[in-house]
Amino acid sequence: MNLPVIGKVPSDVVVAWMVMLILGALTIIFLSKKKKWSLLWEYMRTTHHRKIGTMYIMAAILFFFRGGMDALLIRTQLAVPQNDFWVYQGDKYNELFTFHGTVMIFFVAMPLLIGLMNVAIPLQIGANDLAFPYLNAVSFWLFFAGAMIFNMSFFFNAAPNAGWTAYAPLSTDAYTAQVNNNYYIFGLQVSGMGTILTAINMIVTIFRLRAPGMKMTRMPLFPWSTLVTSVLILVAFPVLTIALTLLMFDRYYGTHFFMSEMGDPVYWQHLFWIFGHPEVYILIIPAFGIFSDIISHFSRQKVYGYKSMVGAIVLIAMLGFMVWAHHMFTVGLGAFANTFFAITTMMIAVPTGIKVFNWLFTMRHGAIRMTTPMLFSLGFIPTFVMGGVTGVMLAVAAADYQYHDTYFVVAHFHYTMVGGTVLGAFAGIYYWFPKMTGKKLDDSLGKWHFWLFATGFHLTFLPQHFAGLNGMPRRVYTYLPEDGVAIYNGVSTAGAFLMGISMLFLLYNLYKTAKSKEKAAADAWLGDGRTLEWTVASPAPEHPFEQVPYVKSVDPFWFHKRRIQNMPMGANPRPSPVSVKTIQPLLFVLTISMMSIAFIYHWIWVEIIFGLLVLMFFLLRTLTDERESVYRKEGEA
Amino acid sequence: MVKHIRKMSFFFLLLVAGCDIRVLDPASETGRRIEDLIGLSFWMMMLVLVIVFILFIHFIKKYRVKDDSYVPPEEKENKWLEISWTVLPIILLIILAIPTVIATYNLTYKSEAEEDSLKKEGLHVEVTAGQFSFTFTYPNGKESTNQLLLPVDREVTFTLTSKDVIHSFWVPELSGKIDAIPGKQTHLKFTPNQVGGYQGKCAEFCGSHHAMMRFTTRVVEQDTFTEWMDK
Ligand code: HEM
Ligand SMILES: [Cu+2]
Ligand SMILES: [Cu+2]
Repeated sequence: MNLPVIGKVPSDVVVAWMVMLILGALTIIFLSKKKKWSLLWEYMRTTHHRKIGTMYIMAAILFFFRGGMDALLIRTQLAVPQNDFWVYQGDKYNELFTFHGTVMIFFVAMPLLIGLMNVAIPLQIGANDLAFPYLNAVSFWLFFAGAMIFNMSFFFNAAPNAGWTAYAPLSTDAYTAQVNNNYYIFGLQVSGMGTILTAINMIVTIFRLRAPGMKMTRMPLFPWSTLVTSVLILVAFPVLTIALTLLMFDRYYGTHFFMSEMGDPVYWQHLFWIFGHPEVYILIIPAFGIFSDIISHFSRQKVYGYKSMVGAIVLIAMLGFMVWAHHMFTVGLGAFANTFFAITTMMIAVPTGIKVFNWLFTMRHGAIRMTTPMLFSLGFIPTFVMGGVTGVMLAVAAADYQYHDTYFVVAHFHYTMVGGTVLGAFAGIYYWFPKMTGKKLDDSLGKWHFWLFATGFHLTFLPQHFAGLNGMPRRVYTYLPEDGVAIYNGVSTAGAFLMGISMLFLLYNLYKTAKSKEKAAADAWLGDGRTLEWTVASPAPEHPFEQVPYVKSVDPFWFHKRRIQNMPMGANPRPSPVSVKTIQPLLFVLTISMMSIAFIYHWIWVEIIFGLLVLMFFLLRTLTDERESVYRKEGEA
Repeated sequence: MVKHIRKMSFFFLLLVAGCDIRVLDPASETGRRIEDLIGLSFWMMMLVLVIVFILFIHFIKKYRVKDDSYVPPEEKENKWLEISWTVLPIILLIILAIPTVIATYNLTYKSEAEEDSLKKEGLHVEVTAGQFSFTFTYPNGKESTNQLLLPVDREVTFTLTSKDVIHSFWVPELSGKIDAIPGKQTHLKFTPNQVGGYQGKCAEFCGSHHAMMRFTTRVVEQDTFTEWMDK
């Protein structure tokens, strides 16, 4: 499209501008009419775990619709052979799947899980907040800013286009010289920093702020999986930071880490997957924790094999660092490397299998009730196992020479990521919604959401296995009638739209629940809560554990209610984290964002000025400690 | 739950009818080796899947309650069950790992030492990938673009490299893929056993027109091949 003043712009970007203008205006009108500006201001300054968790989840759902729209556009372009849908051929299509993949992994799956951790972890272990509330706000805004930087790219017609894996040398300035992939680098650097800080926060919270009596071996499985995930983040994310920094040097300052005689494009793949494989476990392990808690809750049965459950996640996490080259079987690393990584990959199936059987046997001799969270958890088991078995098939290195980079792989990772992470996040949202808002989401709408989503999901991704085996590579914007994959793609597109429709049920459910006046009880789900979060009011108050229970077993609240064991309450022996209301985290992140945008567009002076401002914030923070006055007061009292 | 069973039988049917699916209907020994491995891993995994699905459906049917007051007695772990679902998968994986290792060693090819002799006896093709086409260079210096001609029943070895970004050379009916990487050489070897035309594709995302980076492979009788080479 040729616009006056601005010049040539693709028509999809113009449409996006108009939609944004309209939505922006509507939001402002809505906020003013309903007098919600003060609420917004409140959330901008909050450091409270529940509010921050809610913001994470709201943002993630927003980006889920953004990434989902990309998915629908991809599927429309691929609906029939040799399709010419709108502008989505060539580079425009490449932007589409790059955007979709990156958004879904970093700005949907990660924040959904981190949001649930924020809401549930302190409540499950009997803490009043995360250990570092201020840092937590910084983490959230870093994530949000990273996502916003990434999203800006599209509006400036410069969306990244080298895939979410950004393989060198395609991602270096020699082949993609425009600013597009700068957005990839800085979007991920900024949000990655937030993720690392969250991991530190979670680890300290879980080690330091557990209720009295709650030994590590009495901790529910979601905190356990959060702990293990946080350690994974702490090891894996810095590798991504380093890889992106090297890529930045190649793109900006003329180094050749990933090119020419001295560098090597395969270095990028090693670095990326040393981060990337643990990343997929970062995405699945928290979901495992959520499912464990939910399945146990709605089976009225303790988790089967608690110790082996914990052992299995620790083992999966450790093995997760030894398998990265299974993404590189066709690079030509040689037979020894390929068999080594094939075998380590197969080994992961063992602890994963143990978990699946433990979930099944938690239900055995239980009393199963089909609530919405339980339905999502049950949908997870067969779906994830299907993704798991194709994973073992992919681990067979010689066979992967055929599967690699085809739609078979696309099918496999959607089975694990949608069937695992996304179902887990939905289950968690329905489950802990009372703790976030004080209300319960409508159960029958939730069930509609589940059934449509699950049916749409299998319709979308099951046929993709066959498309891959019939020779369809991934990341292609078209295919020919004689390729023999039209039928699979047609079904897949229909399924994708069904999934899209199912999400409208979630939206309507959120709207309907916001309108309703019905309040949820503290022990909101059938009065069957087993862990500490169900002992506090819904929504969770600012200081839920002024009086904290003494924990004597894994499911203390359950045994207390059954009168098998008492749960004595006492004053909280630990100093509470001090929460403050402050706009500093947001301002700090704004300066970092400005600095990043300056880097993206090579504005040297702006880089320097905002760089200095960022340092000033560090200085400011070093010199303030909101705990000092509070603890002094407590000491005097 | 019934839905899942129905879906799985659909999966079966398609696989039985899988004779039109390229990877499962190979025209070379290499392709058949891989197909065997895919078959083996698939059926073993189906076994796992069926066991999990049966338990899953059985437990949900049997232990679903409508009676809100029923509190089941607490379940104790059974050591033997836990041992069996740890040990049995390990055995299953060992059964799968052995042919995996053997096939991976057999099908992963590094020429180096043999290169000279291969040039004499077999057929050696140099592949240069570039955005967005493949160039094939034959021993006598003959070059062709996006058209690979091979004689039937003769071993071919390939040495691959790239002019620009990473690409991947793939003819699903004849062999698995191997990447073509700038500044490096990779190797591939197979023997086509059936005369015919086969699709070839670039399988590694390589930029704007990755989707268009295709080539055709024609496997012909030796005479036709010699004639073509000398033209
Ligand atoms: C909601 C429905 C979804 C649909 C219909 C969908 C569809 C697709 C399709 C068709 C592709 C392949 C694009 C190509 O190779 O040309 C793709 C790629 C991808 N999807 Fe999804 N997807 C969905 C949800 C998700 C979710 C929830 C995640 C992650 C949590 C995800 C992660 C990815 C990733 C990482 C890629 C690879 C991108 C790349 O190749 O760079 N997707 N998706
Ligand atoms: Cu991996
Ligand atoms: Cu390509």
